[in-house]
Amino acid sequence: MKEGKKKIFPVHYAPGKKLFHVVVTLSDAPGSYSSILDLVRTKVNLIGTSTYTRSDGTAVFSGFSEALSEDLTGEELEKLIMSSKAAIAARVYEGKDGLLVDTFHTGFVVGDEEYILMRRDGLVHVFERVSKMLGSGGDALLFEEGVAMGLRNAEMMTKTVGAERVRSQTGVLNRFLAAQGWGILEAKEGPGKGGFIVRVDDCFECSSGGSSRKGCNFMRGYLVGGAKATFGIDYDSKETKCVLKGGDACEFQLRPS
Amino acid sequence: MRLWRIIAAVAVPATIFILRGVSPALLFVLPAAPLPLVVEAKGDFETMASEMNRRGMKAHAPAAIVGKSGVKHEFAFAVMPDPGRAKIVVDTELSVKEVDEMKVLKFYVKVFDVDPEKAVLCVSPKLGARAATLAKEYGITVLEDDVPKRLIPLAEKVVNEFVGSGAN
Repeated sequence: MKEGKKKIFPVHYAPGKKLFHVVVTLSDAPGSYSSILDLVRTKVNLIGTSTYTRSDGTAVFSGFSEALSEDLTGEELEKLIMSSKAAIAARVYEGKDGLLVDTFHTGFVVGDEEYILMRRDGLVHVFERVSKMLGSGGDALLFEEGVAMGLRNAEMMTKTVGAERVRSQTGVLNRFLAAQGWGILEAKEGPGKGGFIVRVDDCFECSSGGSSRKGCNFMRGYLVGGAKATFGIDYDSKETKCVLKGGDACEFQLRPS
Repeated sequence: MRLWRIIAAVAVPATIFILRGVSPALLFVLPAAPLPLVVEAKGDFETMASEMNRRGMKAHAPAAIVGKSGVKHEFAFAVMPDPGRAKIVVDTELSVKEVDEMKVLKFYVKVFDVDPEKAVLCVSPKLGARAATLAKEYGITVLEDDVPKRLIPLAEKVVNEFVGSGAN
């Protein structure tokens, strides 16, 4: 099965369709989720769903859906869901003119950390502007910010799973960045003792733009900061390959300073 | 009469450029600064560097320096006693109006990365009020003059005093 991008639904636009966002609080017990699905699937076509547990022993089902019948109302759907013993509370939000926005959630939480979601192209455009306004100094600034974020994120991860696990499972943790859309990182040892070569496929930083920037300085800084926090030493770094320079991927070399 | 003025405005600098071996096309790519003056200033920094090198100062004009970040920065002039380590860096900002704070910020982030002992920004005609405050806050030495060419001897004096003083 091919790996790929996860689709999430803070917004959905389907002209001419009657759309609903179904949110259900249910008991966190085996079979609860399937009993809700069995009910709603008779009335709607689910486009995208998510479930998560809460600290109070309940779970939340959230689903974007298209009505199978034009006559279906949100109230009817709520009543139907509440007929299930698994449902504790239900709320159905209706879209307008084919546009449905998630008005229930107010952000994202991973572990205990709050996250925001933004367009890749939007962030890359910010980097592009910094580089354009400040020239080579802007590139240096992006590197410094990358170092700072790499350090902070690695420290957070160390606090969560422990320093030894961060050091021994770097490969697995790199997949955490891939899951967030930063790029697919693959690290190997070298070129010198204690050094790394990190290949990044689908690097977010050079996924668009490039008229002002000559490389992925934020990502390079992030790797330096992350490695410093993980292994406790300073690294010199250079980007040896970059998509902005015609490479098929980005490649970074990190050597102990 | 107006047409003659336009022709003269383009033809005179273009002639100077051709005589100096510089493409007149450059006239149209840097509208903020009078280009003959930019070229003049650049040329004089090169002369200044040559003279200082004769005295064993290890000056470069222009100077490409790799900063702490690994990013390569270019300055109009620098003295580097050791390879890659700048003692003093000099840049120019020439404009037809007051130079704004963005130019100071642009210079400062390069300086921050290269970490020289002293940073000098030559400005013509002068910094705006906010830019001047920012430069002071960042510890940048600012030299100002309405005539760009006059900035060269001012910069030379500052560089000689600093390098000659053996400041650390």
